Amino acid sequence: MSNAYKEQQVHDALPATSHDELARQHFVRSFKEHLVTDLHPGLKTVYEKRAKGKFVAEHQREPETIQEVGQVMKQDSHYQAWSSLLRTSQEMMWSSAQIPVQRAIQELATQAAQSPAVGSLRLNPDLQIPAYHTAVDIHCQPGGYHTEYIENDVAQGAIYDRAVYIYAMGQMGVNNADMGDSTVAWLKQQHPEFKPTRILDMGCAVGHSTLPYVSGFEDAEVHAIDVAAPMLRYAHARASSMGLPVHFSQQNAETIDFEDNSFDLVVSHILLHETSSAAIKNIIRECHRVLKPGGMMLHVETPPYEGMEPFDTFLFDWDSENNNEPFWRKSHLLDLEALAKDSGFQNHKPLQIMVPSAFQETKRTNTFQGGDFGGGGVWFVYGCQK
Amino acid sequence: MSQEEPEVTLQRKAKGKRPYYFSDPDVDRLLSMVMALTGELSVTRDRLDTLERVAKAKGLFSSEDIEQYALSDADMEARAARHQTIFKEVTRIIVGEIEDLDAKEDSDYSAVVSQVENDG
Repeated sequence: MSNAYKEQQVHDALPATSHDELARQHFVRSFKEHLVTDLHPGLKTVYEKRAKGKFVAEHQREPETIQEVGQVMKQDSHYQAWSSLLRTSQEMMWSSAQIPVQRAIQELATQAAQSPAVGSLRLNPDLQIPAYHTAVDIHCQPGGYHTEYIENDVAQGAIYDRAVYIYAMGQMGVNNADMGDSTVAWLKQQHPEFKPTRILDMGCAVGHSTLPYVSGFEDAEVHAIDVAAPMLRYAHARASSMGLPVHFSQQNAETIDFEDNSFDLVVSHILLHETSSAAIKNIIRECHRVLKPGGMMLHVETPPYEGMEPFDTFLFDWDSENNNEPFWRKSHLLDLEALAKDSGFQNHKPLQIMVPSAFQETKRTNTFQGGDFGGGGVWFVYGCQK
Repeated sequence: MSQEEPEVTLQRKAKGKRPYYFSDPDVDRLLSMVMALTGELSVTRDRLDTLERVAKAKGLFSSEDIEQYALSDADMEARAARHQTIFKEVTRIIVGEIEDLDAKEDSDYSAVVSQVENDG
């Protein structure tokens, strides 16, 4: 591990930025780094030295839940300042990524439509965007994943690709591929005999986690689905510019149009926490249905709350109330073993493990915390064999 | 943006109620503006940094030339005057209140509204 500063790898689909537009994005990355390294540690200090005592004085015991920690922390000026700044950094991140895209929205759409025919793109204009994506704009991206401004629009995808890099402060690799890279590396190490020939990535967004499966399993046919057309158009242009064939299609992971028993491997990357209680059941059931017997389901997420200290849970839960992630909390409290079993996975015990990050070339904060989910150095993987 | 295509304005505010953290949400608003200003300052500093690097690469001048450049007293006086102009702009709202006091101006604005509304 070194402290090398790495910038995102340039590819043909990525919007061009002027000097000042790029400087604005760099400022946001530095702002987030400042919050994580300089202001975040003070939260523990104020909790221990002045906030927790107020709860203890009143209740004669320490806080035990997210809500109880919140009762005293939300009153603390350091927490207020950190939260206010973190929320602002998130807004500035999207804004800085939007500016060059708004300027070039027509050219980006034209360019994506003309991208070489590598893999394929199948859109479904009749697909209904699920309510859990339209009720609020998830993680505060104005317009969410799905909003389209013009014909053949890729704006939301172009904004997302850049914003993810800024959000992760480079900690997910030069192509934001760490979740896919880490899972592929884990699979090859733990299951060297596993040679999937058909792979499905659900909720693929711009395909940043999808592409490692194409490079990692050269003989496999890789499919990727998402509900949002602008993401898929951009994802297809992005993958094509890298010469990596992926078959993208606009589908809701709750009701997939692929046949039963047709995939060896079904994966998702930070998809589950952006759904709902009903949707997550439908999704796991669909995973079971489309998997071949003996096939593998793997969902990459951030770790469940179980076993975490109340204070750490409170901070880790920040996104639920503060970053438009309405299902974040519930998704981290689910009985994942029962979920798999009830969805048809009854032959094997579900997997719930921490998988090390494949990308180790940049400095890491080594924590999972509000505003820094790429910094853990590990990913939580939930899965099961059919 | 090509001539024939209409200009597109992206949605800038994320759908969903924005949380505020301080007991007075104006503190959040002010903090957000301070960070936006800090961002623009950083952008300007980055541009100056690039300017110095380009100048050096093109053999025009280097960062050392800037460090070693000695301002004359007249240069510094002109700069100091510009600083005062900036301060006057920034602290306008504070100084303005004092100016009202000095002018013994009647601060009852609603009385003025009442007057102009009812003078005919």
